[in-house]
Amino acid sequence: MNKKNLIKQLELTFSDNEVNTFEENVIKIYAKKEQVKTILRYLKDNGYNHLALISCVDWIKEKEFELIYILTSYNDNNETYKETGYIYLKTKISRDNPEIGTVINVFENAEPYEREIHELFGVKFSGHPRLIPLFLERDYEVPPFRKNFDTRKYVKDVFESIPVIPEEEE
Amino acid sequence: MVILYGLGSILIAFMVGILFAGISRKVKARIHWRYGPPLYQPLIDIVKLFHQESVSHGFIFDFGIFFSLTGAIVTLFFIPIGNIFPLYESGGLLVVLYLMLIAPFGIALSSVEAANPNASIGISRKFILALGYEIPFLLIILSVMTYYGTTSFVEIVEIQRESTWGIISMPITGIAFLLILPAMMGLKPFDLIGAPQEISSGPEVEYGGIYLAMSKIQHIFLIFIDIALFVSLFLGGGAEPLTFFLKMLPVFFIILIMSTIYPRFRIEQAFRFCVRWPTILAFLGLLLVVWR
Amino acid sequence: MDREQVIKALKDSGKWGHKYSLWAVYFCTGCGIIEIPPVITSRWDAERFGVIPVASPRQANLFLITGYVSVKTLRAIIRTYEQMGEPKYTVGFGSCPINGGMYWDSYNTIKKLDKYIPIDGWIAGCMPRPEAVFIAVTHLWTLIDKGMANAYKKYRKQYKYYRKNQEMALGKLEWPPLYPINEDE
Repeated sequence: MNKKNLIKQLELTFSDNEVNTFEENVIKIYAKKEQVKTILRYLKDNGYNHLALISCVDWIKEKEFELIYILTSYNDNNETYKETGYIYLKTKISRDNPEIGTVINVFENAEPYEREIHELFGVKFSGHPRLIPLFLERDYEVPPFRKNFDTRKYVKDVFESIPVIPEEEE
Repeated sequence: MVILYGLGSILIAFMVGILFAGISRKVKARIHWRYGPPLYQPLIDIVKLFHQESVSHGFIFDFGIFFSLTGAIVTLFFIPIGNIFPLYESGGLLVVLYLMLIAPFGIALSSVEAANPNASIGISRKFILALGYEIPFLLIILSVMTYYGTTSFVEIVEIQRESTWGIISMPITGIAFLLILPAMMGLKPFDLIGAPQEISSGPEVEYGGIYLAMSKIQHIFLIFIDIALFVSLFLGGGAEPLTFFLKMLPVFFIILIMSTIYPRFRIEQAFRFCVRWPTILAFLGLLLVVWR
Repeated sequence: MDREQVIKALKDSGKWGHKYSLWAVYFCTGCGIIEIPPVITSRWDAERFGVIPVASPRQANLFLITGYVSVKTLRAIIRTYEQMGEPKYTVGFGSCPINGGMYWDSYNTIKKLDKYIPIDGWIAGCMPRPEAVFIAVTHLWTLIDKGMANAYKKYRKQYKYYRKNQEMALGKLEWPPLYPINEDE
């Protein structure tokens, strides 16, 4: 189906979401966090079977995190994909207790993305099989990508407090 | 007398081997359009390796590499270099045939003790390749022994001096031997046993200072032994070491230029090559010799 | 080689060997490794200085630490450095090992590499040109001649302080101390 049909179908099925188009190329869907899994499964059944990225934005003034799921299609003869390209699915979760269900049952390749967002932002994904750090080695009180993480203070406290090797006594 | 000839044999093999190693690096560099290291660079490498500290993994680790170097030196005593031939009364072609397998066996012993999976993969590749090139090698040795009617090196060289060279009377066998020489020496396109990019230098991955020096010296000796074997059997040997050396040079240059140009085979391609064309040619050569 | 150099080589063959045959471990540490293949290949030839890349730290005696060092990479660098045989020389390549470079206020990179393993010399630049590598190699030759390239000896003498710094940066280390540490001193 082409773009207009897809948008109409989405508006009919999930009636309390907004569906937008943007720059002739992208479809944006704003959803609540409990409906993310059903919308993703619906889109996967309709041809968008490639989860390209899960990304996270820290809105510190509104005290919210915003998770963005980016979907494309592997099939070259998907009509809607040829017209639109990407689909963005955006949800908002609270900043003080960030929790959301994992989407590994729908897309299996979401596992490293969710691990990365957990270690860098502190978002808990319930149902994830192994939520251990991907890149970082140390423990951080405030997860490093949040906007209230002071990098210069951290560097001064941790790395510059390590002493220089003294010269040997002759 | 034997001791003097033995020491002279080792000295000549070492110097010629270092020269060949240096020439090979320089010629390879010039083919790549760059300047290369100086001609005596392998000597600097070996001197540095003797002054470097290394780690031992146990008794078999030390013993294996010593065993391999000693095997290479002992094989050297049974091959004539011009008229320097330490053990000409005993031995012969068959002794050289089974002594040549001591060197890879020694390296296999020390690879087992090293307990590194890269070393195990490298040494297993070496033995599969040895299985591949031993088949045409045995057929070639059989044709040579049947044609000359003897297994002693001295008589083979004498017969070649009276009549023609071996490569003119048995051309197909000579070409078969030339085709498997890079496999026996471990040069490209058959240098997959010690490939730095694939398996981290294969059996040499755990070798440090003095072990690496011995491994390199053993490799140099093996190159010398293989080319000397070809020259004695097919190119008429030599009356003194100088003519022997001059006859070794063209063989070495052909193999060197082949090894600079071609890329590396995989193990199944190398095995398939060794069992296909050189075996067919060696078999044809054997048939021709038997029918005469 | 003229007669003076031959006599010098024969008198102290260890130094002659260490100078003109530096084998570098081909451990691609950071982003600066992209500048090493041009040094090794045909245009700027490093083999005429005797420098070739080898695949295993046991065979090498030069360690070029190229690019920035994150905390995870520091673990691998320390293990590689401790496996090399003495005498060994390390050179910090690029601005990031010197004082942090471009990542001076990052949460996951270490800023001064000198606190964790001993360094013989630095090459500044982001990235340095290949000619800078050759100037560093010839400078290392003069240091070896005078007997001043002693970073590995410093590691042995001050190992207590190095190990404490490594534990502060990395947490608990899985490998035992390389040299025995005397707690009373």
